[in-house]
Parts: sequence; C-alpha cells; structure tokens
Amino acid sequence: MKKFLVLLLALVMVLSAVGCSSSSDAPAADTEKTVEKTEEMPKIGVTIYKYDDNFMSFVRRAITNSAEGKAEVLMNDSQNTQAVQNDQVDMMIAKGVKSLAINLVDPQAASSIIAKAKEADLPVVFFNKEPTLEDLNSYDRAWYVGTASKEAGIIQGEMIAEMWKANPEWDTNGDGVLSYVLLKGEPGHPDAEARTKFAVSSIVDAGIKVEELELQTGMWDSVKAKELMDAWLAKHGDNIEFVIANNDGMALGALQSLKANGYFAGDKFMPLVGVDAIPDVLEQIKEGTIVGTVLNDAANQGKATLELANNVARGNDPLEGTEWKLVDKAVRVPYVGVTIDNIEFAEKAYQ
Amino acid sequence: MSEMREKIKNTSVNDIKKFMLNNAIFFVLLGLLVIIVILEPTFISFRNFKNILAQSSTRVIMALGVGGIIVAKGTDLSLGKLVGLAAVISASLLQAPEYVYRMYPDLPQLPIILPILLVMLITGAFGFVNGFVISKFKVDPFIQTLGMMIIVYGVNSLYYDRPPYGAQPIGGLDEKFAHFAQGYFTVAGFDIPFLVIYAAITTIIVWVIWNKTVFGKNIFAIGGNSEAAFVSGVNVTKNLLMIYTFAGILYGLGGSLEAARIGTATNNTGNMYELDAIAACIVGGLSFDGGIGTIPGIVAGVLIFQVIAYGLSFIGVSPYLQYIIKGLIIIVAVAIDSRERAKKK
Repeated sequence: MKKFLVLLLALVMVLSAVGCSSSSDAPAADTEKTVEKTEEMPKIGVTIYKYDDNFMSFVRRAITNSAEGKAEVLMNDSQNTQAVQNDQVDMMIAKGVKSLAINLVDPQAASSIIAKAKEADLPVVFFNKEPTLEDLNSYDRAWYVGTASKEAGIIQGEMIAEMWKANPEWDTNGDGVLSYVLLKGEPGHPDAEARTKFAVSSIVDAGIKVEELELQTGMWDSVKAKELMDAWLAKHGDNIEFVIANNDGMALGALQSLKANGYFAGDKFMPLVGVDAIPDVLEQIKEGTIVGTVLNDAANQGKATLELANNVARGNDPLEGTEWKLVDKAVRVPYVGVTIDNIEFAEKAYQ
Repeated sequence: MSEMREKIKNTSVNDIKKFMLNNAIFFVLLGLLVIIVILEPTFISFRNFKNILAQSSTRVIMALGVGGIIVAKGTDLSLGKLVGLAAVISASLLQAPEYVYRMYPDLPQLPIILPILLVMLITGAFGFVNGFVISKFKVDPFIQTLGMMIIVYGVNSLYYDRPPYGAQPIGGLDEKFAHFAQGYFTVAGFDIPFLVIYAAITTIIVWVIWNKTVFGKNIFAIGGNSEAAFVSGVNVTKNLLMIYTFAGILYGLGGSLEAARIGTATNNTGNMYELDAIAACIVGGLSFDGGIGTIPGIVAGVLIFQVIAYGLSFIGVSPYLQYIIKGLIIIVAVAIDSRERAKKK
C-alpha cells in the first residue's frame, strides 16, 4: 500500500509538472484565438542550439520581444544536439508553422533542415550559425541572419592594438613584443577560426610585434577557459601580457583564474578582452578588470531574425519594412567594439 | 460457500490492484498522453505518428543492443560514444564526391553498405573488448564501460579532429546515404520512412536470437544466475563476449543510420544516448537485476519515451521541465521494478 502511495505521488508530481507548464502556456493559447480573429500573427517555429548558452539567451529574448503583436513564436531548445533539432523541425512542421527560424547546432547540417523545409514548402531563416552559401543557394526560400565572422576579430584586434599603444606599462618585460595567450572557441566553428585569425592579424597590421605563448580551445566554455588559464599562469606566470578570448564566456573563465592567482588586487593587472559584450562582462569593464569586448548585437540579431521570418511567413519580401540589407542571401548585423568609453551603448542592447 | 465467495471477491480486487501496480508506469504515461491530447488535439495526426516512428527507429536499434546486456545483468555506458564513433566514421567515408570539405578528398564513391559494415565491425570490436575485460577480469560492467566510454570519445576525437580540415562537423553526405535513412515510400497515401523498416528488421532478427537460439537462452540464464548457468554447462565467458560484441555491432548500425538521418556527424553525436537507451529498456520492463526482459518491452519503452518527449515539445512544455518529467518516469519505472523484485524474494 505504501508503495502504491509512492507511485501515486510520482504520478501527481509528473502531472503537476505538466500542469504548471501548460498554465504558463495559457496566454499563448489566448493570443492564438485573437490570431484567428484578425487573421494575422503567423506561427513561426524557432530553434535555439542550446538554451543555456548565455549569448543565445539574449537573442532568444530579443526574438520573443520582437514577436510581440506580430507573430506567435514556438521556441525550442535543441540541447546542443543536431538530432534533437531535426526532430523539433519535424514536430514544428507537423504543428503547421508558416516559417522556420533555425539556429543550427552543426552548421553542416543545414542541408538536412533545408530538405525538410523544401518538402513542407516552408521558408527558412537561419541565424547565428552560418550555413554555407552553397546550402543557402540550394533553396530559394532560405536566408541567413548573422554577423560577418571576421569583423569581430578585426575589431577586437584593432581595440587591442589601440590600447596596447596607449598603455606602454602593459609591456611588463619591456621587450616591445606583445606576448599573448589566446582562448579559442570550438575548432572548426567559423567564428572561432575567423576571430582567432583576424584578431592577431589586425594587431600585427597595426605595427605591433606579437608572440603567441599559448593558443588552445576553450570550447566557448568558462570552466574550460579557467582550467586552461590556470595551467598557463602556472607555466608562463608574468610573461603573459595579454589574454585574448574568442568569446566573453571564456574571458570570464580566464578572469576567475587570474583573480585566483592574485591579479586585479593591488597593482597586479592583466589586460583581458573578449567578444559578445554580455552583461557580466560589461559589469567587469565598469569594475576595470576586463578592458574590452566586442558587442555581438544580440538584440538586433534577434530582431532581424524575427523580422525576416515574420515577413517570409506572410509571403512578403524578407526585407519588407525593415532596415536590413541582403548580400548573398544574408543579413549582416554589425559588431561594435566596447570599452569603458562607450559602455552605455552596449548596455542599451540589453534593455 | 459464502467463505469462498468472499475469497473470489478478494482475489479479484487484489488482481485489479496487482494489475494496476504492475502496469503503473503505463498508466502514468497514458495519463500524460491524455493530457497532451487534451491540450493539443492536433497531436493525433499521421504526420506526428510518422515523425515519432522515424525518430524512434535508430533508438530502438541501440536499445536492442544494450537490452541484451541488461538482461545478462550488465550495463553499457559506452553506447553513446560508440554511436558517435560509428556516425563519424561512416559519415567520413560517405561524403559526396563533389563536396568541398571532404575528410578524404580522393576517396571514390563507396557503395553505402561497405562503410556501414566496416563501422559495425569496428564498434563490434570495441564491444568485444568490453565483453573480454568484463568476463575475463571480472571488472564490473559499469566501470569497464565507463572507461570505454571515455576511451572511445578520445579515439573518436582523434579521428575527427585531423587534417585536412580539422574538427569540422562532417557534412555533405552522399545523396544516396542521406536518402537511405531520410527517405520513405508511400503506401495508400501514407509515408513510411525507410528507417522504420530497418528498425523492424533488426527487431525481428534480435527477437529470433533471443527466443529461438541457444545463445538467446544463455543470455537469460546468465542474467538470472550466472553461477547456476556455469554449473549447468553454459560457457559464461564466451556468451558474455558475444553479448557485448553483438551490442557493439548494433550500435554501429544505429550510429551509421543516425549520421545519415541527421545529415552530419561530430564527435559529440550520440552524447548521452546510453542513458536514453538504458532508460527506455527499464521503462520497457527489463530488470537491472538481470534475467528479465522482452523485445516488445524494449520497443514499447523506446516508443513511450519518444511519444512523451515529442508530445511534451508539441504542447510547448519547457525543455527544463521535460528533463524533470523524464527523470521522474525513470525513477517510477525502477521503483516498480524493485517492488516486483522484492516481492519475488
């Protein structure tokens, strides 16, 4: 009997879990009714490669906010697994969405998503993870919203060069060479490759000699970055003069490691830059620990994604009523370099 | 007379209670299903049905592999990583010749079956090693396969992240290979995915092995009581080797199909699949104590999980809540399993 109660309890828990979520769904159901009345608000199926990616969570919010009063968004968490995403696309098609907005898990998987969209005769807008132009060209109703990968690296490199020249004391050993360690994103990820390449080449282009002490992948991840930084500090100590991270998540990881190793207390300082300008890092810039980052404009990426997906869902031109430009079927949302001097601009992106 | 009637009455009440308890997990899931349908009546459609079947297909093949191991009182944590290895190798050998970023730029177009067989051989070999260490050195299956899981991930990453293009997701698969898994044929207006056919054939083969061969009977004997099996003349070592090897072969097949189904493979493909497969087996009535389990149970377990996962996404339940629900389902299923076992003793 006792065990029967346990089972009953489990049942109640499971059912209430479903109940909770369905109650949060209630407003969505209401808006659906108004859709039918006004015959507007198309359903748009959105997948995010993984919900717990700090940058994508802002893109997600921007999409949801931009959709208000315009479209009904079905948001999915692909859990960093392409198989899950493919299943979700099947499910959304079955649910009768009018367009798809896809944040791929593997950029190479675009062709299988396009095949599904083609078969269901649905337009698809990829965002943030870029399919090849070849894939985009294989379907006349496929577009991309993102950034120009190399731009972030160039801006980061120029920022580093400018700051390096303005702060001669950062050259701690005074040899005139900028000795850096670089935390790279996921190998093979176009952003990671481009940011790494162009950040360094822009510093060199600015006439600064560089020495690469370490370059390793932190897989975009704070924890991995902290572990790498711990090891590098143990190995190179004060010979490291600059820490360059492909994203802010890793910059924050490196920051933790630096703090644990006595930096940013007293006069021990280490210039550290990231990319993304997530709120955490903006706070750090204000505190004077991280010196700069590059705003990967989450708000505008989300907005542009939704605007395109909404337009094509209604059968309009993708750019109708928007400020964007299409080049090779892609909208490029510009990057912005952020330091303490223009931090308000970056903060606005999250309001 | 009245005493007897009382007895009959009692038994039937008890029987109903017993029936309810033994199938409690199904009632819980049925309840969930009813809620899903009430919230979203459009859930009942052939399209959804087809999606769920296709999505379950590769999972059934994997679960059938680990199912045999569980019946033999083992477990296999290396499943997901072996699936990943299979996916990466088969994808790397079956990229379209005109695709620019080929891992082997000069590789001729191979017949699909060749890489799949090769991959089944490779994953079978890893399974063989699992079985060898577990049966010869009496290493606990959990530990052995945990170690193997990490090793296979390393092996796969080494293979995956190398010239000419480094750690690129392996895409641009041969049209034929993609069609092999993503294709379907139409019967009386209904689309039947090829994958479902492969899963069905595999299921039948495994059913025959389990139920009509000496090897199959040995699996159950070893799982039930390996010492008794040994005493009655069963070669436990050899049979364990075969069980793990066979499971490896099935992961190879599942992984190849998974690559074709997704259209790309990385060293992360198959991540955590072992947990899904083991959970499906347990929900399908396999006992972690060994010796108990049926093929229809495994298939039902996989289908139930897929219906719930698909259904919860379909009605828009938060993915974080879905984790909680999935976890609860597994715990409830094991609670029932333990209850039945306790009763037997």
